[in-house]
Amino acid sequence: MNRYIPIFLVFLLAIFLSIIIGPAQLNTDILQLRISRVILGIFAGGVLAFCGGILQGLFGNPLVEPYTLGSASGAALGGSVGMLIFGTISPLFAFLGALGVGFFVFTIARIEGGLLRDRLILAGVVMSFLCSSLVMIIMVMGGRELYEILYLLMGYLGVVINSTNRLMIILMIVLSGILLLYLYQYYRELDIISQGMETAAGLGIDIQKLSIIIFLTTALLIGITVSIVGAIGFVGLIVPHISKLIFGPKHLKNLPASFLLGATFLLLADTIARVITVYELPVGVVTSLVGVPFFIYLYRRQ
Amino acid sequence: MFSKAVKAVCIGCVVLILATGINSCEKPVSHTGFKIVSLSPAMTEIVFALGVAQDLVGVTTFCNYPEQAKKIYKIGDFSNPSLERIVGRKPDLVIVNLPEQMRIKRQLEKLNINIFISSPRTLDDIYDEIIEIGRILKKEQAADSLVNYMKMHISRVDKPVLNAVEGSSKKRVYIELSPKPLVTIGAPSFLNELLEMAGAENIFADLEKDYPVVPQEEVIKRNPDVIIVLHPEKITDRLGWRKITAIKNNAVYTTLNQDHLMRPGPRLVIGFKELKDIVDE
Amino acid sequence: MNIIETRDISFSYNTKEILTNVSFSLKQGEFLGIIGPNGAGKSTILRLICGILRPKHGTITVSGHDTRGIERKQLAKKIAFVSQETHFVLNFTVEEIVMMGRFPYLRAFQRENKTDYEARDHALAYADLQDFRKRPINSLSSGERQRVVLARALAQEPAILILDEPTSHLDLHHQFAIMELLKKLNKEGMSIIAVNHDLNLASLYCERLILMHQGKVFEQGSPKDLITEKILKQVYQTEVKVIRHPQKDVPHILLNPKGE
Repeated sequence: MNRYIPIFLVFLLAIFLSIIIGPAQLNTDILQLRISRVILGIFAGGVLAFCGGILQGLFGNPLVEPYTLGSASGAALGGSVGMLIFGTISPLFAFLGALGVGFFVFTIARIEGGLLRDRLILAGVVMSFLCSSLVMIIMVMGGRELYEILYLLMGYLGVVINSTNRLMIILMIVLSGILLLYLYQYYRELDIISQGMETAAGLGIDIQKLSIIIFLTTALLIGITVSIVGAIGFVGLIVPHISKLIFGPKHLKNLPASFLLGATFLLLADTIARVITVYELPVGVVTSLVGVPFFIYLYRRQ
Repeated sequence: MFSKAVKAVCIGCVVLILATGINSCEKPVSHTGFKIVSLSPAMTEIVFALGVAQDLVGVTTFCNYPEQAKKIYKIGDFSNPSLERIVGRKPDLVIVNLPEQMRIKRQLEKLNINIFISSPRTLDDIYDEIIEIGRILKKEQAADSLVNYMKMHISRVDKPVLNAVEGSSKKRVYIELSPKPLVTIGAPSFLNELLEMAGAENIFADLEKDYPVVPQEEVIKRNPDVIIVLHPEKITDRLGWRKITAIKNNAVYTTLNQDHLMRPGPRLVIGFKELKDIVDE
Repeated sequence: MNIIETRDISFSYNTKEILTNVSFSLKQGEFLGIIGPNGAGKSTILRLICGILRPKHGTITVSGHDTRGIERKQLAKKIAFVSQETHFVLNFTVEEIVMMGRFPYLRAFQRENKTDYEARDHALAYADLQDFRKRPINSLSSGERQRVVLARALAQEPAILILDEPTSHLDLHHQFAIMELLKKLNKEGMSIIAVNHDLNLASLYCERLILMHQGKVFEQGSPKDLITEKILKQVYQTEVKVIRHPQKDVPHILLNPKGE
């Protein structure tokens, strides 16, 4: 339990840095702005890392995460389609996109009585590229600037909050919290699934039902996240690994730790993105710079 | 309130005069012997202004001005022009916009099709391009008069009285092109130049990028006196923005036509007039 | 009394028929062995009994209740399944893994109570794993891991233990240890079904055998009745010599290498 204390202190430090570091003098308005950015960072980083941890547990594959599984790009695609129809990126369409692509990747990787784990990643990465291209086409067709597409595909926390989207964002964050708690109840099932599918089934776990629940819920969470801050990559890949290194394989402990560490990681990445340039840099650029080498390292080790 | 109404009417009149003025240039119908495809909405307007619109055999879906341009054969949109549709029109000259249309430019080069490259960054670039296209289309005179006309209407506002306190009296302007993310204009853009000529200062004039993406905090820190919004989204109710001078003083302008300011063509004259009115207010 | 009864169960993957009309029963306290060549459907039977797979036709009853009417977790309190999965993706400690056997008794967010700890410790002691309890699983040998998996099943406190080739890939010492452990459990009242490739081990330890062939029950009976040269020739297409075990009254198989 006491391993949480240093993690929590680092988390607080990240929040503190995010709030004090920035171009403008700190006053109440700037504080408001930075706090809202911190909240978005905690929400997005936490959700992505938590979902990454859950999905890695379910598939028993250390390379799985919302981004490599294609769901994040799928959400961006769904969001773009929604934008083409309604003019704004809605969480519902992003959810449907994440779901659709996830389902497709699932189908490709499925074989008689199981999943090919390597094929899952391959299919996910390929679909991720495909979705990104489709997003480009759709957004350009909708007359959007390339910037907007880039920021949707890389993700950024500097989202403008105004009276039109404020309530929506608050509601979505609350809903995400509820969904995370809902998923968290399956920590024991995930521990057991790592022992093998038959063992898990023998202990009374309905694997098919559990897979569907996790699949739908994470798709919804990713849809919400992407619709607000865009598709931020590799948080869901790196963080669960670090979490397992510190807290061990028990999901009871490492899932909440993933949330905290994911939030910390994204806040730090965002602070770096804000410090190195006066321009607004997509935070996904920083997470990818760290994440891609990590992905290659894990892939080679596998 | 009253003064605003008057202003609106005035601007309306100016627009009308300018529009007819530009239209009057195209009356002498003459053929250049060229079949032109224009992938640049601004160049389409220029070709119209030079009076050789009947030689345009293809334009983009973005080419919406003047009204007659909408009826010309469409070869795709600004970002995705169709090579096949362009080639299908058997053009003698294709006007390409860089850097956005790099890909199509390379494809056209492979097919040995004549290309005119439009890539203006400054007002002088725009004038040079008009002269150049005028020369190619053998409309030197029309091009000369168009440039003179633009130069006459887009000229530096001199305020000798205020020169002594240079800077402090200039209105500091933030122009927002897109809300998600925030895109504005930096130093190497003709819009920055227009602002300066109108006697204002772009708050992001120090950025060496034409269309930089900026953080909200920078905007708040730089605290503009005037905000010009070139997209439909409302900006006054943004979290953390309420203390910006422009918002406190109600100096947020949302009704300007983006095409008057963003298209490096004849209608910059109207855009400049609108800018000047805002700055002088 | 029959604790498990299967009546005419059939199962197929897509169109491929794996089992056809299989009927057999397990008596309370019996040690039943399932033998047969590769692909005869042995493992499928086990999965059907544990509720991992559902039969396409026929019924399976456990203590008189149709398994279709029993919740998965409830069934897991009655039947423990030891699969061939001894590969561990995550490096849990031995006692953590054994505690997973308590899953059927725990609700989400419910903390393990005294009963659970006792069941875990009892299972650890039974499988002689006390010295390993804090060790990470991947630091154990395959024989030790097999004992961990068995202990996890014991922590379920089941009435029936179902094992899928519990001795494959183990050396002589560990084979013997596992089979002796099962014998001891059986003596104490545990009903056991084990699939075993090693016919001599099956013959030595099982009271009754079911011989599967091409998805059907070929023959069932005592090792003496089943393990004969004639039947093995029919099912395995292999000439063997069957002798009597010198100390026990059970058959023992000897292979005859060719050319000598």
